[in-house]
Amino acid sequence: MKVKRWWLVPASLVALAAAVAALVGASTGGASSGKVSGSIEVWVDAVRLPVAKLYAKTHPNVKVKIVTYDGDGNGATTMQTKIQLWNRTGKGWPDVVFTEQANDPVWMGQPPFDFAMNLKGVFPASLLTGWPAPSLAQCTVNGRLVCLQDNLAQEVLYVNKKLMAQFGYQVPTTWQQWAALGTKVAKEHPGYIIGTVGDSYGHWLYLWPDQCPISQVVAPKTVRINSANAHCTRMASLLDPLIANKSVSTVTIFSPDFAKTYGGDDDKVLLMPGPTWYAKDIFGGTLKIPAGQMTAAMPLRWNNEPPVTGQVGGGPWVVSKHTKSVAAAIDFVKFATTSLAVKSKPGALSPGYPSYGPAATVWLKNLNKDPYFAAPPGAAMKAAAGLVWKGWSMVTYPDQPIWSNSVVTQLIAGKSLSSLLPALGKGLSNNAKAAGYRVVNK
Amino acid sequence: MEATRTRGLRVPRGAPFVLPYLPFLIVFGIAPTIYALDLAFTNAGGGWVGFHNFVRAYDDFRFVPAFKHILIYTIVWLGALMVFVVGLALLLHGRATRVSATYRFLFYIPGALAGAAAVVIWLFMLDPTVSPGSFLLRHVLGASIFAQSIAPGNLPYIFAMIAFWTGAGGWIVVMYGALNTIPPDLEEAARIDGAGPFTIAFRLKLPLIRKWIAYMLILSFATGTQLFVEPEIVQHASFGLVPDTWSPNQLAYQQAFRYADFNVAAAIAVDLLLIGLLGAVLIVSRSGLFRAED
Repeated sequence: MKVKRWWLVPASLVALAAAVAALVGASTGGASSGKVSGSIEVWVDAVRLPVAKLYAKTHPNVKVKIVTYDGDGNGATTMQTKIQLWNRTGKGWPDVVFTEQANDPVWMGQPPFDFAMNLKGVFPASLLTGWPAPSLAQCTVNGRLVCLQDNLAQEVLYVNKKLMAQFGYQVPTTWQQWAALGTKVAKEHPGYIIGTVGDSYGHWLYLWPDQCPISQVVAPKTVRINSANAHCTRMASLLDPLIANKSVSTVTIFSPDFAKTYGGDDDKVLLMPGPTWYAKDIFGGTLKIPAGQMTAAMPLRWNNEPPVTGQVGGGPWVVSKHTKSVAAAIDFVKFATTSLAVKSKPGALSPGYPSYGPAATVWLKNLNKDPYFAAPPGAAMKAAAGLVWKGWSMVTYPDQPIWSNSVVTQLIAGKSLSSLLPALGKGLSNNAKAAGYRVVNK
Repeated sequence: MEATRTRGLRVPRGAPFVLPYLPFLIVFGIAPTIYALDLAFTNAGGGWVGFHNFVRAYDDFRFVPAFKHILIYTIVWLGALMVFVVGLALLLHGRATRVSATYRFLFYIPGALAGAAAVVIWLFMLDPTVSPGSFLLRHVLGASIFAQSIAPGNLPYIFAMIAFWTGAGGWIVVMYGALNTIPPDLEEAARIDGAGPFTIAFRLKLPLIRKWIAYMLILSFATGTQLFVEPEIVQHASFGLVPDTWSPNQLAYQQAFRYADFNVAAAIAVDLLLIGLLGAVLIVSRSGLFRAED
């Protein structure tokens, strides 16, 4: 009993401190001290803009210049171009950069770009323990911690609970059940979909969770790209009949076509493998699917194989090694990633699953309370966080455009995914070689 | 002797007209060209490497496709310019003044939009869900979604259409001006000799504005092979359905800023310069653009 009590005292103190911190955080800016001063330039995408603005508002001692850019979304190379130019002129680098591209830090962290600061020893070590190990591993380049993920983007299966109940379907747990359902849907309820492969990250949603080795760094500067591997072809064979019977769409979820065809009050999204940041943002916002329909289920697994899942982004924050205001830059990243003022609830400030564990716990609690969802989606998301397959490495070249222009364009033209896998492999190999990688198949 | 003396006098007289442009030509035209030539034949350290950069540029897997794209695009675009600009200008020239002024204005309007803005308009025009011309997209391109409109096979034609839409109006006005320089008595004489409007247009007016057509072709050929804005914006808007190295100029841009390889980028730029020069020499020699006796 005594032991228990002793354990309880610090525990309750921690809880109290956390509550105070949360309260203080909401007014003064969370985990960041608020005592830091200096001036920083921050480059963010449109989604992270409110966070930067909030920091500027709550930290009058820090002069913040905010610049918005495309965030390198969908494989754009804006930041690469800019850093290239700043490096050539020897000045002008921003102090903090957010990128939507989870692979960006890989080239930012090494020559010739050599832009990212090693955060090890600079960022409070006590906070770093809050990030999941795979997330930190993904941000580690040549032993240096060159970024901190803003959010995790693990893939789950979104389920339209209302439609599933209406049609009398069971929520699938394996890709096989999912495919069987797709065949059934095409017959019984044509027009309804169970997913789309038309996004620029379609291969992350379908090939990553089947452990297809087309982006696997096996040695320094050596990448394994084998689109003929059974883990790629079996998923393609599974998808092809579904693409043909139109239960899996080939249109990107971000196009007006998609929202018009599948969104709105009489939406036609039955199931949808997608990352955690889809949640209310995409289903409620982009697709205008009414409240009380969507929820999340565990990611699909291949038959009875151990469950693994894919990942779509999980944009990181990067601090420039050229910054003159290290304290302010670090304070900013601390605020953006760990403070409860930003990360406590799903919404404009934190649409994605927070990568910082303690924040994620609070975030999930609030997500589960959100009346938008037909059932609390948090448990599935939390479970999926640890299931992301680690055989898919971050590389210096963006692979999204290759999927888009060598696969999606041809799927739309009526070809089968199986017939396009060689082209995907070739496109990836070409780009890998152009980026200086050695490519191996086996 | 007489001729050389007058020429000797003309140069200084022309100088005030040329001088204000000269600094800009040097800073933004000649100096970058020399810099590009220097980069193209050296490596990152500045050492002479001969044609190595050109070989590396050619060996890139995107080099040949990019030039193929631009070849089809330039043929389609220049063909359209030749036929429609000259045709429309001839048609307008035969009309009453007010009618032709209205049409000239209408043709010119799209050209008043800056390149990038024009492409953004076309993004809507090409999306069957919002386009006012969706029936055309459905029937001509067989497209019911945006991604089908911009299918790889359609792209050269689509970019040619955008370029024609933004650029043709200005050229129609120029051609119209050129037609106005034809002395009316020539036309009258032809008419008295029994020439119909068709004969006058093709046998009289067309040969007389040949040099303007050559001039249009030279400039358009150069800008055509250097296409950049259209594919770049469509690439971003389509989430990468269009490759970011569709045209050689985009490839040069990627080489320079993504791979930090300014030398290969410069080699591609020099290739484009040579192609532009070659095109100009061919057109000049074939059309007699600088022949004095005409």
